[in-house]
Amino acid sequence: MIMTHPGLPALWGMVVIGGMVILTLWAVITPLPASASAAVYNLTRVPLLRGLVRYLVSSPKILLALKLVFVVLFLLVIYAGLFGSQIPERNLATLLTWNIWWAGLIFSVFFLGTAWCAVCPWDTLAQWLVRRRLWKRAEPNNSLNLRVPRRLRTIWPALLMFIALTWLELGLGITTNPYATAAVSLLMVVMATSSLAIFERKAFCRYFCPVGRTVGFYSQLAPVELRPIDTQTCADCKTLDCYYGDRNTEPCPTWLVMGRLKQNSYCTSCGNCVSSCPNDNVAWRLRSPSVEAVQDARPRHDEAWFMIGLLALTGFHGLSMMPFWETWMSQLARVLHDSGQLLPSFTIGMFGSMAAVVLVYALFVAATRWLMGNGVPFRRLFTHLSFVALPLAFAYHMAHNLNHLVREGVGIGAVFLNPLGTGMAPLSMMEKHARHFHMIISQDSLFAIQAGLMVFGFWIAVQILRHRGRALLVAAGHRGGSWRLAPMLGFVVLMTCFHLWLLSQPMMMRM
Amino acid sequence: MKRFAQFVFAITLVALAASASAHHVLGRPAYSLNEDSNTPPSMQVETQIGNYFVTYMVFPAFPRAGEPGRINLYARNIDNGKPFTGNVTFTARDDTWFDTAKPEKLGVQVIDDNVFRQGFVFKHDGDYIIRAEFHDGGEPYLIDFPLRIGQPSPVGPLTLAGVALFAVLVGGSLFQRKRLQRDRIRAAHRDERSHSTREEGVS
Repeated sequence: MIMTHPGLPALWGMVVIGGMVILTLWAVITPLPASASAAVYNLTRVPLLRGLVRYLVSSPKILLALKLVFVVLFLLVIYAGLFGSQIPERNLATLLTWNIWWAGLIFSVFFLGTAWCAVCPWDTLAQWLVRRRLWKRAEPNNSLNLRVPRRLRTIWPALLMFIALTWLELGLGITTNPYATAAVSLLMVVMATSSLAIFERKAFCRYFCPVGRTVGFYSQLAPVELRPIDTQTCADCKTLDCYYGDRNTEPCPTWLVMGRLKQNSYCTSCGNCVSSCPNDNVAWRLRSPSVEAVQDARPRHDEAWFMIGLLALTGFHGLSMMPFWETWMSQLARVLHDSGQLLPSFTIGMFGSMAAVVLVYALFVAATRWLMGNGVPFRRLFTHLSFVALPLAFAYHMAHNLNHLVREGVGIGAVFLNPLGTGMAPLSMMEKHARHFHMIISQDSLFAIQAGLMVFGFWIAVQILRHRGRALLVAAGHRGGSWRLAPMLGFVVLMTCFHLWLLSQPMMMRM
Repeated sequence: MKRFAQFVFAITLVALAASASAHHVLGRPAYSLNEDSNTPPSMQVETQIGNYFVTYMVFPAFPRAGEPGRINLYARNIDNGKPFTGNVTFTARDDTWFDTAKPEKLGVQVIDDNVFRQGFVFKHDGDYIIRAEFHDGGEPYLIDFPLRIGQPSPVGPLTLAGVALFAVLVGGSLFQRKRLQRDRIRAAHRDERSHSTREEGVS
């Protein structure tokens, strides 16, 4: 029997709604701002931290040690999945991959930005297999170094991969199948290696990786960034070692020039720019978590679709874990005469849910455009305003994953002691109940964090709307008139309420 | 304030009570162990077809070749909740690629305490498709479900990944070597041409 987690209690729901009302009133009353706070704090200037931060980012040994740890864990996942017990809650492959890594990854973005990409085992293994070096630059680099076809040089491949991964995760149910989890892990290594062996630099990370791009886009909201210490030094730089690399350091894997870097979306935190910069001009900095999405990030149409896609997919994750989703699928399956895993019904349900979010967004954008007097093309509004989707998706993603992490992450210690689950029986109902009550943090703390995250997402989305909306109003020839952005504010309210409603429902446990 | 607290308590109670009415994910295998009975761990799948909601359980959860196992199938009408009472035919076929062997009939079962029970013994480990077939209202109902006998073989994914990586790395390496060789030959020809042009100029 699969159990459900209790949803967010009404009291906490009301707290979130109260916060939304206050923030909405504030957004309506106060005039639109001219610019966001660009205050940053360079970590290399902190007296006690300075030395440590410099050592961490400049020494390849630390990064190599971390990569080794994650590669070992990753290989253990593959081994356990292929050779271990197929009981999902007893096998390390499913528990570590889906309950810990997949659920927890998003929290690493919240604190550390794209740090995961720096230690990603898919890329590390690909790098070792193709370059045949542990960390130093390989010359020749053993790659065909072909250019990625122009049509693929967008975010679309990553979005399609993310949709495919969601289908595998929620439709086919690889989250409860250790063998399939191991097979998909192997597939990702094959894809990363093939891409590295065929295309120049790390095209997989830049264009194809669904995890990397999700992490990258969410990290627009991270409080950390890797940026030049002094922009003038970069402007005067003639060698561009950050882009081309030096004798020992690989070039930037994702074609970024540090002097022009404005957003985290494609940075993999590999630290190559830090190592290769001859002027020691690259450093980690603390910043306002919203500043990039609010004003720095450059709007692009394909990226807008990715952000809307993230919003649709995160909502769908929650929706597909509601008990009523089963009833819907059951009714659809009856119409389609579907049987077995009901995959056709699931697929229709999944694409229908995603299309609904896109249509609702487009509708609200069209309404905003109408109020603006049709002075700005629809495509431009669609692209520029898509940034509001990012915090909404991020906040709900974290709130939803927190449920998985703190309720289903219990028992990981025991699984580490017997990663293959050898000789283990499935969890009995008593054990499932016991796990249910032994959460990593208390249930009240969980609810408080979830409510806080919803308010956080709403607050950042409102900020983005106010800043980006002002620029669009100016472009449409309006000096003020923030009421014209009311439909988009309505969209932010609507999506937050939808996410809040999802959170307040009982959610089916993953395993 | 007291009423508000009562309201919150009621909502929480409803949320907690909802967890008691939990069920399987349709079409997804679930492994369970009932500590209150002496039955071994079982694999259970719930699905539906047409007007019927179907539940099947496999004992033991991970059957092995040469060891007897059992399938319990339960079908009830979605509209009126009544169980299906006719005959159910069970067949098994190999689920490997390019397999042309005919499906083998496991048996025809009549209802017994609302359940159709089909025993089986497979000679070899492998992936099989079990088909449960019945007729109702003049329409055939076919439910296919996969059954794994023995531990799944790790050879498939490992071999595929190994072959793919080998092909990419060796293919890439050969291509690269050829390209370098071609560049070297071109450079040599270029040098030769410029050298002979210089010599002609001198003479």
